[in-house]
Amino acid sequence: MLSLLIWLPIAGALIVGCLPANLPSSKVRVGALGIASAVLLWTVLIVSQFNIHLPGMQMTEYLPWIETLGLNYQLGVDGLSLVLIALNSLLVWIAILTSSEQTDRPRLFYALLLLINGGVAGAFLSQNLLLFFLFYELELVPFYLLISIWGGAKRGYAAVKFLIYTAVSGALILAGFLGLVWLTKAPSFSFDDILGQTLPIGVQVTLLLILTIGFAIKIPLVPFHTWLPDTYVEASTPIAIMLGGILAKLGTYGLFRFCLQLFPEAWVKLAPAFAIWAAVSIIYGAVAAIAQKDIKRMVAYSSIGHMGYIFLAAAASTTLSLVGGISQMVAHGLILAILFHLVGVVEHKVGTRELDVLNGLMNPIRGLPTISSLLVLGGMASAGIPGLAGFIAEFLIFQGSYATFPLQTLLAVVGTGLTAVYFVILLNRTCFGKLDNATAYYPKVVFTEKFPALVLAGLILLLGVQPSWLVRWSESTATAFVAAIPTVEQIALSQSIATDLKQ
Amino acid sequence: MPLPLSLSQEVLTFDVLVPLPFTRMTATLIEPKTKIPPSQHEFAEIIHRLERGGAMLPDTPENLMQIIGLYKAYAVPMDFYWRDLLYIAEQVFLDPLPFFKYFISQEYLDRHNHYAGDDADLRIWRGQATAHPELIEFIQTGEVKSKLPRLLHHFWHDRINMEFAEECMRAMLWHRRMYCPVNQFDPYLDSEEYKQNADRAIRAYFKNNPLMLGLYNLFPDMFLEQCRQASYYSNLGLFWEVMAPVFFEMSDLYDEGKIASVPDAMNFLVNGIFAIAGRPIYHHVYIRGECYEIIPKSKGFTWLYEAALPYVEAVFYRTSPFRGTKSYNAQAGQVPDDQKDFHYGVLYADKFPVGTAGIPPTLLAQDMYHFLPPYLVEYYKKHCRGEDDMLIQLAVSFQRSMYCVTSAVIQALRQALLYPLDDPNPKHLLANRKFFEAQIDRFKRPEARLRNIQSQDYR
Repeated sequence: MLSLLIWLPIAGALIVGCLPANLPSSKVRVGALGIASAVLLWTVLIVSQFNIHLPGMQMTEYLPWIETLGLNYQLGVDGLSLVLIALNSLLVWIAILTSSEQTDRPRLFYALLLLINGGVAGAFLSQNLLLFFLFYELELVPFYLLISIWGGAKRGYAAVKFLIYTAVSGALILAGFLGLVWLTKAPSFSFDDILGQTLPIGVQVTLLLILTIGFAIKIPLVPFHTWLPDTYVEASTPIAIMLGGILAKLGTYGLFRFCLQLFPEAWVKLAPAFAIWAAVSIIYGAVAAIAQKDIKRMVAYSSIGHMGYIFLAAAASTTLSLVGGISQMVAHGLILAILFHLVGVVEHKVGTRELDVLNGLMNPIRGLPTISSLLVLGGMASAGIPGLAGFIAEFLIFQGSYATFPLQTLLAVVGTGLTAVYFVILLNRTCFGKLDNATAYYPKVVFTEKFPALVLAGLILLLGVQPSWLVRWSESTATAFVAAIPTVEQIALSQSIATDLKQ
Repeated sequence: MPLPLSLSQEVLTFDVLVPLPFTRMTATLIEPKTKIPPSQHEFAEIIHRLERGGAMLPDTPENLMQIIGLYKAYAVPMDFYWRDLLYIAEQVFLDPLPFFKYFISQEYLDRHNHYAGDDADLRIWRGQATAHPELIEFIQTGEVKSKLPRLLHHFWHDRINMEFAEECMRAMLWHRRMYCPVNQFDPYLDSEEYKQNADRAIRAYFKNNPLMLGLYNLFPDMFLEQCRQASYYSNLGLFWEVMAPVFFEMSDLYDEGKIASVPDAMNFLVNGIFAIAGRPIYHHVYIRGECYEIIPKSKGFTWLYEAALPYVEAVFYRTSPFRGTKSYNAQAGQVPDDQKDFHYGVLYADKFPVGTAGIPPTLLAQDMYHFLPPYLVEYYKKHCRGEDDMLIQLAVSFQRSMYCVTSAVIQALRQALLYPLDDPNPKHLLANRKFFEAQIDRFKRPEARLRNIQSQDYR
């Protein structure tokens, strides 16, 4: 059942890639959209079959593959991966919707998008570390090509930068996984096999740091973020949605799944430092966003800050914070997707993303009133305004983290305030004010251009006013995560027992 | 200032001109025989155009179509504006709760325009003297094309928006000291005679209302100021009573192919201005069937100096910073201290409404939208966002058409106060140029749309 989420889009990618070369771009787009719709429907079916009360893996699939390497085809879904799978299927569908009907080399473009869809699904579903790594690395080349072929003016530079950073990320993760298996002498790369193994705390800390840095590059967190602004800005709108909405979640998923679950003792030890790291990332992202003059770059920097909330939630490791963190992954995916889409429409219609040039887009007749209104909604959601999906996720994180890390949480709250600041700047300059007589001959925004944003806005509102539909999927999983994490007292006790036994 | 003799002759001969308007209209397109050095003004090209008898608006078929189409679209609501303005001035007067002031009586809809119909004083428009048929149909069925009670049409804002007309009236009232001492109307409002006339009318109007009479005794100035406002209602109503048939006639002549250029259109306006320059401006109030002459016709106030020129100055140039068109911060000095420096009129206006509905320029655009000639609807559909931004496109066309009207006023003033365009005396031509340059200086400021209208792409 889960395999279809991986192989349907990959098969779709092959089909789209083999379509006749003279087929117009719009028809290729319709074909890709059909496949993405089928994947989305299949995801809905899986979600409907998911038992929210079971904390462990469900719908598991196992197929022996290269057993001598410990690599098996092992899939499963829990509350963490379910919501991310849903996000992945939705955002790929949205990304195809946002793509232009006149895309150059459409077969390659849509084939790569579908390939990423399958690869990300595989990464989220993999219950084998090596399998995860393969799917994780599968994204690299398609994203590189999507940025370097269909990107902006500096696409070559951005694509190479992305490639280098994510390749380093992959190398670190592979090193971490190999170290983990070799040192624990686990029989395979199976997640379950490794989960039961123990390692000295020093080794745990080392491996945890390697993996955390690997995933922090992917997220990204400060100071490993420098690839993000260039890549997000140079990528075309659908690719920016995929990068911010989906690819970054591979990093946060890795933190939760591997760093937190496989190294609970080391995690508890490093958590205070991680919380500070998260707070710095949040504040830095927000302050950097305030300084931007390009609205896409501003949205890109906002992502750094918002991913910091997830890291803070993971560091705090309470049930509430983890539920909040997982919810934030979804909320951030939706919000970033709507913002990138709207910024893309603004750029397409107005011809610029410059804050100092844009003005008065809320004008009801000659401006982009619907797009501006949705931009206001997206900005409010990103700033954590109550009633929208961003609020409940951030609130749960703050509520869940404050008891453990009060100072870092307060800094994160300040970061939320700063988010409001830069979105007010963005909205005030872009949407409000006076439309320039001399330049305001922008083309009309047609319904198909509004539709993806309307879908996302609907979801952001729906999950904002009915947050249980966002958090219910991950509650049991988060509770199980927390139960597996020893308290500081438990760690001290186990260490003293170990010392006694040696004596 | 008395009109020159030649101007009076124009008035006498205008009715003869109407059947053959072009013999006169094209007459001003004369190349000066005596050349003077080219103007060094920033808008030298426009000044040279004015010296050749042209308008500030370039003479292109597209411009002509836009301005004539807009005159027609403007004339229909204007036919309501002048009737309702006079209805308010003469009948509603000082009603403290004038809820139904926009519900014009049948008497006023049937009132004969003095410049249209068979019994006209001077027949400018060959059409009917009563309300225009399109206006009657719109009053009955509105935009929804359904005969609902008028109150429902009103609340649905499916009506002629008198708010625009009232805003124009208020602009004239607020910028009162314009064109003094040429404009005699305004000082008269402060005269003892006016106060006595107003006092009689106020006491008669509130004869059976001790509360209002008591208030009048306590706050006489407040009532007097309301009376002055009613006088401006009358002033503007009488002004537009002339302009509506002028615009209707221009539209008909264009449809017949008899107005073929922008200078033709402008010259028709110039001739029209002189033809009705002497039309009396007055304020009569009808209370229980008796007429109270607050400003009697015998005062000799005339259409050109007491209504047209103040109107152009107040509405085309100055007005007030309309709410919603743009945010102005008076404390930051964005609104001039001196009223004569105001520049928010149609010649400067930003045609993009921002956010709010109901601001007067937007309401005028909405009124004109209902009466656009088909050729203009087709034209707008082909540009910008087609039907979606027709309100802005027509507002920009309106701006062009008002530049044409302003050109006519400038030419009329030049004709009245200075020299013919084909005057052989270079000194006279230089005086004309100085006059034109002084007029055009007012469009040097960046907000002015004179630069914009030179391009057809300004829509």
